[in-house]
Amino acid sequence: MFIHLKELIKFRELLFAFTNREIKVRYKQTLLGASWAVIQPLSLMIMFTLIFGFFLKINSEGVPYPLFYYSALMPWTFFATSLSFGSLAVINNGNLVTKIYFPREILPFASIIAGFMDFLISALIFIVMLVIYNVPLTINVVYTIPIVFLETIFIAGLILFTSALNVMWRDIKFVIPLLIQLWIFVTPVIYPLSKVPEKFRPFYMLNPMSSVVENFRKVTVGGLAPNWNDFAIALGISLILFIFGYKFFKIKEKVFADVI
Amino acid sequence: MDNIAIKFQNVTKSYLISRMKYGRFSDDFGIFLGKLIGKNRHKTLQRETLLAINDLSFTVHEGECLGIIGRNGSGKSTILKLISKITYPKSGQITVNGKVGAFIELGAGLHPELSGKENIFLYGAILGMKKQEIKGKYADIVKFSGIEKFIDTPIKRYSSGMYARIGFSVVSFMDPEILLIDEVLAVGDQNFQKKCLDKMKRFVKSGKTIVFVSHNMDAVKLICSKAIYLDGGKIKMQGETKTVISHYLDDVKGSKNESQ
Repeated sequence: MFIHLKELIKFRELLFAFTNREIKVRYKQTLLGASWAVIQPLSLMIMFTLIFGFFLKINSEGVPYPLFYYSALMPWTFFATSLSFGSLAVINNGNLVTKIYFPREILPFASIIAGFMDFLISALIFIVMLVIYNVPLTINVVYTIPIVFLETIFIAGLILFTSALNVMWRDIKFVIPLLIQLWIFVTPVIYPLSKVPEKFRPFYMLNPMSSVVENFRKVTVGGLAPNWNDFAIALGISLILFIFGYKFFKIKEKVFADVI
Repeated sequence: MDNIAIKFQNVTKSYLISRMKYGRFSDDFGIFLGKLIGKNRHKTLQRETLLAINDLSFTVHEGECLGIIGRNGSGKSTILKLISKITYPKSGQITVNGKVGAFIELGAGLHPELSGKENIFLYGAILGMKKQEIKGKYADIVKFSGIEKFIDTPIKRYSSGMYARIGFSVVSFMDPEILLIDEVLAVGDQNFQKKCLDKMKRFVKSGKTIVFVSHNMDAVKLICSKAIYLDGGKIKMQGETKTVISHYLDDVKGSKNESQ
């Protein structure tokens, strides 16, 4: 595990070069460029506000609907874009994998960093919204850093599995979009966590994204400290997933060039 | 000259022929189920293996230039892939001492949407160069490629010859201890080919180890002191370049006569 991380550090320049490429290429020949990074959570936010806020009147715990949804959609979009791009990262670079040696995990990891850049862009809009709705941030906003860190570990662990499995079975390519669609319903994006029945909570919180989204909302628009208990559980699950994912990826990596 | 740069000891590499088509989950799962139940219902599925490299042993000393010749499918490129750790052997041992730079196929690693300049940095990073290093050599790289005029154009608008130039220009400015070259002279005009050969000769002179795979016998003769003639994944002959090449050419002629 540490050998792999050490090699990754040795190849960090390549990681940045791939990230750079992914960011540059993603919005090439698009009219709106990087604003797509904002349009995605923004349009979902408008839809959710309209349907779940004004039509269905979901309890947003006193937070204005646009903020309630946007604060959840930010970490959610980071998750969804990184997962969908990252899972394809190895197979989309088949020509490189069969010709040049480098630690292959650089490819999915570059997708995560590129997704994180989008996340930062979407954060700018969030700040504008906070000003408009006059919702002050508290010191607790610093906890977004460990929360996003936790999310990154979780995404990385997941992507190490999906991107490697994709090399062997292209079925994964179809599974991922479906999975993301379904996943949003078992994550407190549309509704607050308090709507989940008490007896289902322990199972519900096994999904690290539940902890990420709920805590992210809590420390930003809620102005409160995160629920550390949920955080610790999610971090534990994510770390285990990451370690096993890395092992799995490194074993499968050896046949990538032959199978891809 | 006594230091060993590359050593193959009884190396065998086989490919699973059924793996050469796209993997499908249903196939693999079917086999898994078949094993579970204890009968092999998937007899129709090919599980044949192809021996690309069969019990191969050879040594390349530091500063030597080894040419590898042979018909298509004789395992030439597989050897390069094994040296650069893109693929792994089924059995046997491979020792490689020194930093490997592979120039295996033109254009692998170049991104069509990016400009010539962006690609020089990307490709340099893929080949293991540091950003600072590329910056320092950038002017020379562009000059060598001879495409100063189009350096800010996305390379998807380049001709295939220009693709090759930009690729080789970056490669020729990297500083590996062992250089692997596979059929690079197939593209590019006479003038550029001559430039490449000169560059390769300079590599040899500066004491670098080179493994050169080519169908261009003149180029092999010009650069390599030693050669290996591969046939069906085995060494048919090895020794001084001239002798090996004339033997190979006789074989090619012979088989032509047979088929007539």
